[in-house]
Amino acid sequence: MKVHYKVLTISLLSAGLLAACGAEDEGNNGSEETNGGANNNAAEENNAAENNNAAENEEANEEDGGEAAEELDGELVVYSSRNEIFVDALLEKFEEETGVEVLALHEVEPLQLQEEAGNVQADIFISNDVGAMEYLNQQDLLAPSEPENVDTIDEQFRAENNEWVALSTRARGFIYNKDMIEEEDVPQRMEDLLDDSYADVEGGYAITRGGNGGMIGNVSALRYEWGDEETQDWIESIQENASGIFEGHGDIRRAVGEGTHAFGLVNNYYYHQQLEEPQDNNVGFVYADQGDDDMGAIVNAAGAGMVEGGPNQENAEAFMDWVLEEENQLAFVGESLEVPINPDLEPPFEEAVPFSELHVQDMPLRELGDYFEDTRQLIEDAGLDLELR
Amino acid sequence: MSNHHEESGVKSSLTVLQKLQRQWRHMWNGNPPGFVLLLIGTITGLLMSVPLVYVIVRSLSAGADSWARLIGGRIPGLLWNTLSLTVAVTVMAVIIGVSLAWIVIRTDVPGRKVWQWLLAIPLVIPPYVGAVTYIIVFGPSGWMRDIWNDGFLSVFGTYSLNVYSFWGVFFVMTMFTYPYVFLIASASLRKMNRNFEEVARSQGMTTSQVFWKVNLPLLRPAIGAGAILISLYVLSDFGAIAMMRYVTFTAAIYYQRAGFDIPSAAVLSLVLIVLTVIILWLEAFSRRRNKFYQTSNTYRPPEILKLGRWKPFAFLYVVLIFSLAVLMPIYVLVHWTIVGAGAGVIDAGFFEYALNSVQVSGLAALLCMVLALPLIYLKSRHPSVISSGIDKLSYTGYALPGVIVALGMVFVFNNHLPALYNTFYMIAIAFVVRFLPQAMQAGEASLSLVSPRMDEAARSLGYPAWKVMLKVTLPSILPGILAGGALVFVSSIKELPATLMLRPPGFDTLAVRVYYEASEALYAQAAPGALLIVLVSILPLHYLLKRY
Repeated sequence: MKVHYKVLTISLLSAGLLAACGAEDEGNNGSEETNGGANNNAAEENNAAENNNAAENEEANEEDGGEAAEELDGELVVYSSRNEIFVDALLEKFEEETGVEVLALHEVEPLQLQEEAGNVQADIFISNDVGAMEYLNQQDLLAPSEPENVDTIDEQFRAENNEWVALSTRARGFIYNKDMIEEEDVPQRMEDLLDDSYADVEGGYAITRGGNGGMIGNVSALRYEWGDEETQDWIESIQENASGIFEGHGDIRRAVGEGTHAFGLVNNYYYHQQLEEPQDNNVGFVYADQGDDDMGAIVNAAGAGMVEGGPNQENAEAFMDWVLEEENQLAFVGESLEVPINPDLEPPFEEAVPFSELHVQDMPLRELGDYFEDTRQLIEDAGLDLELR
Repeated sequence: MSNHHEESGVKSSLTVLQKLQRQWRHMWNGNPPGFVLLLIGTITGLLMSVPLVYVIVRSLSAGADSWARLIGGRIPGLLWNTLSLTVAVTVMAVIIGVSLAWIVIRTDVPGRKVWQWLLAIPLVIPPYVGAVTYIIVFGPSGWMRDIWNDGFLSVFGTYSLNVYSFWGVFFVMTMFTYPYVFLIASASLRKMNRNFEEVARSQGMTTSQVFWKVNLPLLRPAIGAGAILISLYVLSDFGAIAMMRYVTFTAAIYYQRAGFDIPSAAVLSLVLIVLTVIILWLEAFSRRRNKFYQTSNTYRPPEILKLGRWKPFAFLYVVLIFSLAVLMPIYVLVHWTIVGAGAGVIDAGFFEYALNSVQVSGLAALLCMVLALPLIYLKSRHPSVISSGIDKLSYTGYALPGVIVALGMVFVFNNHLPALYNTFYMIAIAFVVRFLPQAMQAGEASLSLVSPRMDEAARSLGYPAWKVMLKVTLPSILPGILAGGALVFVSSIKELPATLMLRPPGFDTLAVRVYYEASEALYAQAAPGALLIVLVSILPLHYLLKRY
């Protein structure tokens, strides 16, 4: 009877309110827990003691070995918003040379760092959009750094306290299929895309989804140049007239190469990549806005920064030092075939047009950070962020 | 005096308690479960619904601003995209599924016994894998383009088939979902009593009249059940839809969350939840409306119809569907796997991804088997409002698209369980929320065969309830539980959207690699993983076929 009564009350309580469970048995459980806890603690202490011994031994060994290069171990968590084929080789090189295990998450949106601000996961953030990096910096989500070789990068390509450092650069323009369209029929300026007649070109043209980092930077640069209203017209026009809207730029270069679309809005290095393909490579490239009165090509850069409060700070600092070594600046460019920012370095794609020969938009790249949030809003209002076709 | 009062107070509170106690026992039909069992059951049920509750809360607190923007701009278009695809695929899959079932069960088409299971195979090919093979064959630079442009077909102009279109998505989704209807309709055609048809025939009806007036109405519940499964699947699919560059609610939620526009993602999720609930409600509604009784005592197996001159056509139709939904995808995967193996893509990395897949799916299967046991025991041995409520709660994650479960998990873990956030446990838990009912269904089927008398006998010999469960019940239902675990394992290996959204840095599974490599057009790298997923999925096919 008494047992039933107990069961009844507890069951009722637990059915209604989960939080109320177990009150009756608290005494018993409590004492068991204490016992168990004591045992655990003892075990943990033993472990801890062993660990300490081990650590001491290691330290002793290290002292014996003298001060050979700083020994690194453990992990480095890298969030990269780039396509992984451009980053994998670099990270593997770092792993091999330092022994640090790299845990990478690719195609991360910058705002994931903001969402995780209370529970920081990443040590290093790699991005192909200065706007995103500077935006995160303004939100105090990136940490200042003083990498050894940082002077090889011009100051306009890094944040004030090197919260991010850009290493490679690219310009926007149009990749086109030489079998489908003549160079002079390809748009020469961003503004030209306001013209609806490009919708009627054979095969039409291709752009990326508005959520793409490169597209966000592109729209920010237009807002800097034209203001919001005309930029909005431009977004609406390309949304209306593009015959292909893709997830990434790689899709565009392939689609233009294989003749699905006549031309596409991409970064210059996608043209370099398509030229290296064994087939479907009869493509050309038009750098946009090169006329004397034009605004100049829209430029953006890729780089890396240290995440504020990351779990492996020491390794993160080591990574920044490492990636700024000249050899590794080239490895950062890697398969992407972008143009290294360091003027002393030979571009890996030999025929790449040096930026000194380009007419480049007159805008400090850091400005992109101020435009980042509103640009996303503008794109979202137009619905371009979710459009695929 | 006061003493007296106190006494009566105690008495009255006692009687209240006694009344409650009586009601409690009544609620459980005189057989209330043990406290621990109920507690475990309740907690599991509640945990299963946490992601859903969290998403709803977030969407309601998204602010009028987000709502207005989405309703004015985005939601109408997404609704049209989603609903038109869902309806089109469901209708087409029902037509294909029912016609195939009728042909292989009721006619003398050559090889009818073999077709009965061959035509169910598309069930084990995840639609995103199917989509990849279709892109490889029919895509803008696919095999078909070369055949077309180099062959006689070029007289019709250059190759202009566009797989990245509504019709492309429609076709792929239909080819890989029709088996749901096919299997259920086959089962009910097999059980159909010949007497009804003979009566109809004796009234002078032709074969086609019999089909429309007798067979089809009797098939309606089966068609309904299959249609529900298909439409729920179309609503929830991410992989195939994203690869074919189509945007439904599920895909939109995925992109929104990827961009960390959480309020929008939550709002869109709520709309998707409502759509799911409407479909589930339609199912319950139609089941209530349509009750057909088949008398079993006069049952005679249906007669096999002679196709006569239609035979070649029926055979051709069956072969065509089989080629499009099974032969072609498997051929493409094998071809690219051989190319890939030659290029050395089956390397250490490949085995690492496979190991990750096995590890996380295995953990999910194990957890599901353990958690399913108390739930099904509670439901079958202590039936009541409470146990059926717990049972229903456990189905929330199963009915909902994976993106919504994953979205809820991100909220919960990032904000409240930071230690588990970004670990592979988070994926395993998401799989449990998604697939626990598969383990429950398999276990329930076994448990219903074990007489409660056995439990009672064991209890009367002095075993406490938990010991009965472990020592008596568990061994006799173990095959069912293991089958359930296998189902969960396979579903988890195939699962894509939740894995994509929840995987920690440096932890890629086969499904994730297949998705990434296929979207980069690296088919030789994608094929071995895809083929492996298909092969693993074939394992429980035998069990699935028996179920229907």
